[in-house]
Amino acid sequence: MSRGSDKSIKSRERLLNALAEQIKLPLLQIARQAELAKIVGNPQEHLSTIEFTAGTALKLLDNYLLAQRLSQTGSELLLEPVSVAVVLNDTAHQLHELAAYYQCALELHMSGRYEPIMANRIGLEAALTSLGYVFIEGISTSSGENKPVVKLAAHRGKNGIVTGMFAASEGLTTDMYRRARRLHGRVRQPLTGLTFNSGAGVFIADSLLSSMSARLRIAHHQKLAGLAATFMPSKQLNLI
Amino acid sequence: MKILLLEPDTLLGGIYKTALESVGCNVFLYKNAEQAIRSIDRQAPDLIILELQLVRHNGIEFLYELRSYSDWRDLPVIVLSQVPPHESGLDPGLQERLGILKYCYKPKTSLTQLTKFINQLIPFA
Repeated sequence: MSRGSDKSIKSRERLLNALAEQIKLPLLQIARQAELAKIVGNPQEHLSTIEFTAGTALKLLDNYLLAQRLSQTGSELLLEPVSVAVVLNDTAHQLHELAAYYQCALELHMSGRYEPIMANRIGLEAALTSLGYVFIEGISTSSGENKPVVKLAAHRGKNGIVTGMFAASEGLTTDMYRRARRLHGRVRQPLTGLTFNSGAGVFIADSLLSSMSARLRIAHHQKLAGLAATFMPSKQLNLI
Repeated sequence: MKILLLEPDTLLGGIYKTALESVGCNVFLYKNAEQAIRSIDRQAPDLIILELQLVRHNGIEFLYELRSYSDWRDLPVIVLSQVPPHESGLDPGLQERLGILKYCYKPKTSLTQLTKFINQLIPFA
């Protein structure tokens, strides 16, 4: 077996470990919510939460499977001109209910209007959603504020359009993230400054973005730290 | 009985709080170690229920800091964690030194089991 494929298998195993740790949480939430419904009654309220929790876990699994299929076939996602605003809007739509459950304020922010970027819409949305799960879960815990803000944002950087998730988290530094990329799947909490869990969503996002030849990095948006990727604007429409 | 519950997950925290309140406990819920330590003098709990896996500072660091205050040296603690006991680094000797009454592994500890154990402690609160 070549060294490259050996490294690839180990990387997939680590992502699976991180995902397995992460999925324990929604399953635990479902089990305990169901038990609570039996104890205190009012099953309707509990059933809605159970349904929502299961849905969130399923989406995370889908995002993981997409990342794994791409990684296994060695293929890259087909790039096309994608509207950043549309992707951010659709992602926010998917995350708003989770933000409400975790008592966070999810904000959407774009500094100006941008031309379309070269990306894969499904992959980018899956990556941002996976990131969103980790940020919302983590910031709701670490912040002392009543309704902490998590921002889904885009701005123009020197190399292209930067888009990602941002929040007032002291624990998000380049060193921390570099260490987390080495440790994920091997330790329970590779991102202790951001989340109490395995942060699998971050590494799923990283894998998806890699298949678009983009890279997840620490970035800043309006004094908030976050994780984001840079995309080249599409030159096609400039010719029209 | 007044319980300080240190649980980082919003949904789980709400579930445990409701279950404990259903058996007559007064529950103060905190999501991170810093908030809990700052509030403990004000709340004066009879018991702490603690998750080990927290943001920034873990539950074991919290316990060491708690025990450094003379007022809180003898406050009983129940660990309710998603970390399996054999992976926690808390051997029986260390659990005793840190005043941990019981180590509950979350996937294997139902709400009924937790509240039953708390009920057994109430006469001693």
